[in-house]
Parts: sequence; C-alpha cells; structure tokens
Amino acid sequence: MANKKIKVLMAQFSLETHTRGLFVVAGMLRDEGMEVVLIGNGTPEQIIETAIQEDVDVIGISTYCGGELVLGKVLIDKAKERGIKDRIVIMMGGIFPPVDEPQLLKMGFDAVFPPGAVSSREKICKFVKDTVAAKAA
Amino acid sequence: MSKEKTTKQILEESSKKKKRTPLYNPEAIKDIKNGFDKWKKGMVRPQDNANWSMTPYTIMGSEIDKNMIYTPLDVEDIDYIEDIGFSGDEPYTRGVHTNMYRGKSFTMRPLPGAGSPTEMNKRYKFLIDQGATGLAVALDLATVQMFDSDEPESNGQVGVVGVPIDCVEDMEVIFKDIPIDKISVSIVTHFPRNTAILLPMYLVMAERRGIPWDKLIGSVQNDFIMESVVRGACEYIPPRDDFRVQCDNIEYIRKEVPKWNYITLNGYNLREEGTSGITSMAVAIANGIEIIKDMIKRGHDADWAGQRVAFFWSFGNDFFEEIASLRAIRRLWYKVMKYRFGAKDPRSMWMRCHIQTSGITLTREEPLNNIIRAAFHGLSAVLGGTQSLHVDTYDEAFSVPSERTLMPSVRTQQIIEAETQITQVVDPLAGSFYIEALTNEVEKRILGELEDIEKMGGLVEAVDTGWLHSKVASYIQREHRMIEDAKIKVVGRNIYQAADMELPPIEPSIFRESVQRDMKEKLARIRQKRDNKKVEKCLNDLVDACKTGKNVMQYTVECARADATEGEMRRAFTKAFGSWKPPIYA
Repeated sequence: MANKKIKVLMAQFSLETHTRGLFVVAGMLRDEGMEVVLIGNGTPEQIIETAIQEDVDVIGISTYCGGELVLGKVLIDKAKERGIKDRIVIMMGGIFPPVDEPQLLKMGFDAVFPPGAVSSREKICKFVKDTVAAKAA
Repeated sequence: MSKEKTTKQILEESSKKKKRTPLYNPEAIKDIKNGFDKWKKGMVRPQDNANWSMTPYTIMGSEIDKNMIYTPLDVEDIDYIEDIGFSGDEPYTRGVHTNMYRGKSFTMRPLPGAGSPTEMNKRYKFLIDQGATGLAVALDLATVQMFDSDEPESNGQVGVVGVPIDCVEDMEVIFKDIPIDKISVSIVTHFPRNTAILLPMYLVMAERRGIPWDKLIGSVQNDFIMESVVRGACEYIPPRDDFRVQCDNIEYIRKEVPKWNYITLNGYNLREEGTSGITSMAVAIANGIEIIKDMIKRGHDADWAGQRVAFFWSFGNDFFEEIASLRAIRRLWYKVMKYRFGAKDPRSMWMRCHIQTSGITLTREEPLNNIIRAAFHGLSAVLGGTQSLHVDTYDEAFSVPSERTLMPSVRTQQIIEAETQITQVVDPLAGSFYIEALTNEVEKRILGELEDIEKMGGLVEAVDTGWLHSKVASYIQREHRMIEDAKIKVVGRNIYQAADMELPPIEPSIFRESVQRDMKEKLARIRQKRDNKKVEKCLNDLVDACKTGKNVMQYTVECARADATEGEMRRAFTKAFGSWKPPIYA
C-alpha cells in the first residue's frame, strides 16, 4: 500500500470556465509522482461516477465563478450516497469568498485552498499524501 | 503542407522591395559606436558588463532580454517614415487616429458585476451617472455556457458572476431606458455560438423598441479560441465548425449591423489563462488572417471584411514592454492587411482595441496593492494608445466587483485622463531607443510565433490537434513554479510579506436563490405565451442551416424573434455539429 501511486481526479463543476488553477494543481501533483486523471468539466454526478470507475484516492475540484456551495454540497452528498466519502479525499481550490471556507469544510470537504502563498505546493502535496494515508489506515 | 507562403515570407518580400532611409546618418552611427565601445570598456563595471543583457521574469511575461542601456545603435537602421510615421497614418505605429486622445478620450468601460436583469439595469444607470462612456455586459456562467436559468447545470450559478440572459425579454429589462442608439455596448459573448445566440436577442430588443440596427454601436467577442481553447466547457463543438460559426456571424453582422464590431480578437483571456503577451498576439493575428481568408472565399474583399475587426488585450507588469507591444501589434496588423491582403482602406488596417488590465497579476494577499498595480497597467495601456480601457478592481482574487470596489477602478481611469496630462501628447514615448528597439523585437517575435502556427497548417489545426492547449498548460505550470521560487517577484506574496494583514472591505457576490427563481418563473411564463410551434420550426431551421452551410445568424435571429431561449438554440447547434473534447482531457 505504501508504494502505491496516489491517483487523483481533477475536475471542475459543470459550467466553470476558468482552467488555470486546474492545470496548476494537476501539474503539482504529477510532479510529486501522483497519477492525475484530468477530465475538465463535469456535473457533480459525473465527477463522482468517474471517480468510482477510475478508482481514485482523491478528487480535486477547481472553482472560480461561484456555485461552490451549491454544487459542492451536491458533490459531497453524492459521494456519501455512493459510499465513497470516507475513503476518498475531496478537496477544492480556487477563487471563493473567505466566508465560504468554513462552510465548505463543515459540508465535508477535507480541505480548501484559496489562491496565493497560503496554498503552496508543499502544503497541497503534504495534505494529499497525509490524508490519503490516514484514510487508508 | 500547403504551398501557400507564410505571412512572414510575404512581409519579408514586400519589405525588401522598399527603399529605406535610415534616420541616423552612417557617420553619426560610427561615432556613437566608437564612443559606446570606449564607454563600455572604460566606465561600465565588469559585473554590469557580465550581466549586460538580463532576462526579466514576470507573470505572463515573454522573457525578452533587456540590455542595461539602449542607444541609437539598437535602432541604427530605423526609417522614421517606414517604421514609425505619424499618428493616424501608415504604418500606424503611433496610433490609429491623428489626434489620439485630444480628439476622443479612451472609452471607460467598466465591467460591472452581477445580479438580476433589473439590478443590472440599475447599475448601468449608476455607471452612466458616474461618467462611464460605454457599457459592458458581463454574463453569468450559465449564460456564458449557453444554458437556460432553469437547466439543472445552472443551479447555484445564476446571477453570480454576471447577469443571466435567457431570451429577448431579459435584454429588454437590462437596457430599459438606456439610449442604446447613443452609447456603445460591449456584449461579452465569449463564444461564436453564444454570439449567434445573444446578439440576435439584442437586435430583436432594438427592433421592438423601434431602433434601426444601423444606429447600434458596440461589439461582441465571437472568438473561437475562447470557446475551443480558453474556456473550460461541458459541451464543445468541433473547432472547425466553431470557426465557421464565427465567420457566419461576422458576415451577417457586417451586412446588417454596419457600425457593430463583429469580432473582438481576444488576446486577453488567452494571455490570462496562461501565455506570454507575444503568444496571445500571435494567436489573435492568426485568427484574423484565417477570417480574412475565409471572407475572401465567401466572395468579399479584404477591405469589406477588415472594417470592424477589433482586438482585446491584457496589460501586465512589464511596463515598457506592454507599451511597445501595442505599438508593435498595430504596425504588424497594418502590414498583414496591406501586404498580405492588399487592403486599401485605412480603416481595415487599423488595430483598434480594448484593454483590460491584468487580473491574474493581482493578489489575494494585501488586496489594496492591486489598486496600484492596476493603475500602472492602465497607465501603460494609455501610453500605448488604446481606444478603450477597463481597470481591474482590487478584490479580483476574491469575487466579482461590487459597486464599492468598482469605484477606485473607474477613478483610476479618470485620474489618468484628467490629471496626469499623459493624454495631451500622442505616443509620447516614440523615438526612445529602448521603446523603438523593443517594438521591433516584439513585432519580430509575434511574426515568428505566427509562422509556427501557419507551418502547422493554420490556427484551426493548431487547436484541433490540442497543440495550443498543451502550450498553455505547460506555460502555466512553469510560470507557477517561478512564482513559488520567487524568480517572478510578487510583492506581498513571495517578497515583502506582511505577517498579518487586515482585509479591506470585500463584498463577495453570492448566489441568491431569488434571482434564479425569478428567472425560472419568467421562462415558464415565456414558454407558455409564445407560439411553441413556431419556436420548434425556427429551431429545426437552425439545425438545417448548420448542416447545409447556410449563414447561421439569419436563423438565430428568427429564433430570437420567436422568443426561443438560449439553451434551446445551444442544443440546436450541438444537434447539428456533434460534440468534441480538447485532447488534453481524459
């Protein structure tokens, strides 16, 4: 288990248009030796189904244009419904108002990463590795 | 590969035929050279000589090396009339109008935030009262992606980052009591398909108000690069079909709405997504060339097709290079139109543009610093000779702007215009050895990247194969690494960081259920009262037009007249063209 490559699904919600953050984080995780399945846009349902098919350890959502609370909730609910919430790490990054951060965490996201120095490569990669290991244990 | 000559080859051949009259006489250049060598050897410190040429690293930068000092030696063969000229005259390096800002100040076109159509109407009236001279219609995500407010995909996103528009009635509400025959309106349609859907709604709104289409002034984006490369989407159509819709729109608007700018070649969003300014300009020019070629194939001439091509650029941190790049792209577009296409009408050789200051260079850390950054970006845009300007707001990394955060950005433009006096003199930096050398270098590099695209078989091909997507993705990752390593310096983020900063007031635009509910109710009412048989027929005709190569916009106008919705028209396009996915995605 320890040497298994971490597999991450990177996506953004349905109508999102901005893809810069998606590429940045996908690149970071690949540089760290993880396998990244980059699918671009998907509805929360499609994202969860793809995560199951691809048997990933992590789902990373990039957001920019709003809708993170409404669609984030659908995603988390769907993950619970399909029984993967406890074993898959679900994280979100991008542009959202600071007031949304505690709400997203409360909703069930394992971490949220706003832009800037607070979301460094080291922090994101360490979070993914540690949390995947913790969930596997 | 095609035997057609590349633009670079054509321009090189045409310039060889010209007799050049260098500005500096050879004797002066000889003296300067001697003096320069002596000075460099005798007075310049060894460490400065060793680092004579340095590579600047900036966000969205081109990494053009910069020398410690510039002299006539860097522009020794410059020909004033051929390379610089007078404003409003060929080669338009100094600007497209003779008097530039003495004649007309740059249009101040703030990009307003979000809300319902009624709130947008109110905000436009507020902006006009504040002195805005042009309006921009920023759309919410559902509208950008061509989904109706009542489709499930739209949930949570209606009215968040812009205004929702589903049908003609929304246009009527947004522009109620606004003199659309006097004020220019930029509809940020993004995509060709969305242009084919939304502009007709605007036209039908004007028609219902009794305003003839030849009175309407404004612009649409209508750039297939936006749809196929820059924007993530849940539904794409193949790039070749998308390019065709772009050209159908141009042809229709050119004929029916003569004062309307039918395409805004959008370097802005591509650059912000992740390229250098050079690449963003090369791609825009490549698209411009493909468009003119297509219009010629359709039986129009280059002057007819080039009349109202507009450009949209992002202006970032490398102050002088940004200015030089605007001068360079003006000269290059002129050369393309004149020497590649034989244009004769000055108007079709003009590179007219709107500039928005860069959003991606702004930070979440210490957001008030963004006012300062955006002011420098705006200053360079005006020094470069833009026609229209939007200065970004300081809350860029948090939310779409509110009225409160819009104010400093409107004021920045007004301070540039009314206080700095930089608008008094046309192209004030011309003749600077540095600016002219940089203008030449930027032009050369754009032409070089254009050559790469043309050798690949043209821009549509470069998109279809995923080449441009990959180029963007790797640029972003490399750039991000340089920000992490502080090779690209960002104040407040990776240098000069404050330990703890209190945030200034930020009012994030949040989703309000009531906006979506009202939109849904309106759609239900419209679908009830319109002639649904007629709608169905119009939509079927649109599918047929797509498949048989007829101009799609004349059919989307009919759809709008019948009160068809945006989502209905989107589905007609998808039905006709099928779907596509950029090769970069699994």
